Amino acid sequence: MSKKYEKPVIIKVDFTMASKYGSPLKTQKIRSEIDEVNVRDLVKEYGSPLFVFSERIIENKYHEFKEAFTSRYPDTEFWWSYKTNYLDAICKIYHKLGSKAEVVSEFEYEKARSLGIEGKDIIFNGPYKPKEALKKAVMEGAKIHIDHWYEINDLEEIAEELGKEIPVAIRCNMNTGVYPQWSRFGFNIDNGEAYDAVKRIYEGKKLFLTGLHSHIGTFMLSAAAYGAETKKLIELKNKIEEDFGYEIEYIDVGGGFASKNRLKGVYQSPEVIVPSADEYAEAITNAIFENNKGKLPKLYLETGRALIDEAGFLLTSVFASKRLPDGKKSYIVDAGVNLLYTAFWYNFDIALDKRYEGLNEPSQINGPLCMNIDVIAENIMLPSLNRGSVLSIWPVGAYNVTQSMQFIRYRPRIVLIDKNGNTHLIKEADDLDYVREKEILPDYLK
Amino acid sequence: MLLNEMIIDENNVGFIPSLGISFEVNETAKRIIELIKEGKSKEEIVEIISNEFDVGWREAYVDVEDFFIKLKVYGLIQ
Repeated sequence: MSKKYEKPVIIKVDFTMASKYGSPLKTQKIRSEIDEVNVRDLVKEYGSPLFVFSERIIENKYHEFKEAFTSRYPDTEFWWSYKTNYLDAICKIYHKLGSKAEVVSEFEYEKARSLGIEGKDIIFNGPYKPKEALKKAVMEGAKIHIDHWYEINDLEEIAEELGKEIPVAIRCNMNTGVYPQWSRFGFNIDNGEAYDAVKRIYEGKKLFLTGLHSHIGTFMLSAAAYGAETKKLIELKNKIEEDFGYEIEYIDVGGGFASKNRLKGVYQSPEVIVPSADEYAEAITNAIFENNKGKLPKLYLETGRALIDEAGFLLTSVFASKRLPDGKKSYIVDAGVNLLYTAFWYNFDIALDKRYEGLNEPSQINGPLCMNIDVIAENIMLPSLNRGSVLSIWPVGAYNVTQSMQFIRYRPRIVLIDKNGNTHLIKEADDLDYVREKEILPDYLK
Repeated sequence: MLLNEMIIDENNVGFIPSLGISFEVNETAKRIIELIKEGKSKEEIVEIISNEFDVGWREAYVDVEDFFIKLKVYGLIQ
């Protein structure tokens, strides 16, 4: 009778690798289920690769943030950041939970409207708002956040065309003590530009200011930066209310809160360095209470990544492996950086579908693209995997679906697991017809 | 060939006395190393492994090839 086979493995013993946490040669990270649904069953039913979203995680995360903010500042509203993930099913979940919509293009605006969101419940952000799109948003009562001087002019022209005054907010940037400082969106508070923009709006007599907005950065690991941002927004609010008689209804502190992802080059784990929802909320609401004069404004949040990132998984299957000249094992899997835009700055949490026999060895995970940059994990300790082994990559819920590219391979299906553990196909995979739908072959080439 | 020096104990730790370095191996690796020491060729080893273990010849070929590259990386064979 044949003996049970295990792929041959030889690993040089390096005593410096041992630690109180055990040997990296034997530790395996296993995630056989997502919300009690077996990952191999998911791949069997829907194919591989496969994006999987958990409604349970979405709701838990949303309630965590909502509780953190509204327990300190009841007049807080959440505006779902469409660019983070604008799959219809995902947006619908957030809207059902009570989120309104924050969009940065006419396409996103139309998507929100098509999902039944009224104009008044949409914030229209972004540096590029074509005039026709802007006019439509104004007519439908959307909240317009002005990014630059040209937009003030455009809005004044629209106000003249429509014969009405338009409520607006301005977008502000500032030094919050973190690097890099985001300075290309909106008007700078520190050099007086934001105040001048308000003065210009006031003197133009076509628009009136109702809000102040800022978005200080992305994946912000400092809660204190939000404290600094809020303080400057509130100080500006106090001053313009006094100087121009405006009543500022809301301040919008944007998004950029970090998820439990692991940035490349950061040694400590996300559990250690990523502020909690409570820490962000404490910094922001304290700054309002400490600095506000007059009526308290509403607090708007455009949180995207922190709410959705951890609810998204990408299942991928091992297709082949090879031994690189330096001895490292390279696994070729069926999901590449075409699906994982964030692979360029995150070291994902990558788990196995089951326990594998044998020792771990230094490995890397490469996608299916015929491109040298297609690297999902450059250095990872893995046991010998077989063709068909399923890996789950997490967290991938933010920015990957919206930024995934139709490049070399078709984009895969996307599945949602509802709170009862039922799976729903929420996006079909691309195919040749889809990819060629908008192409036109000139007659002379036919 | 350094591999000839390797002494593998009951815990599957292989020791190279002249260099004072150790390796961890599994059962299959241990068997392949034995066969190399016996002077078997790569093709013969593939044949033996696929007969002794529940693995097909094709998969065994890929894995033995892979293992030989790893031994070369460690300088254990030429």
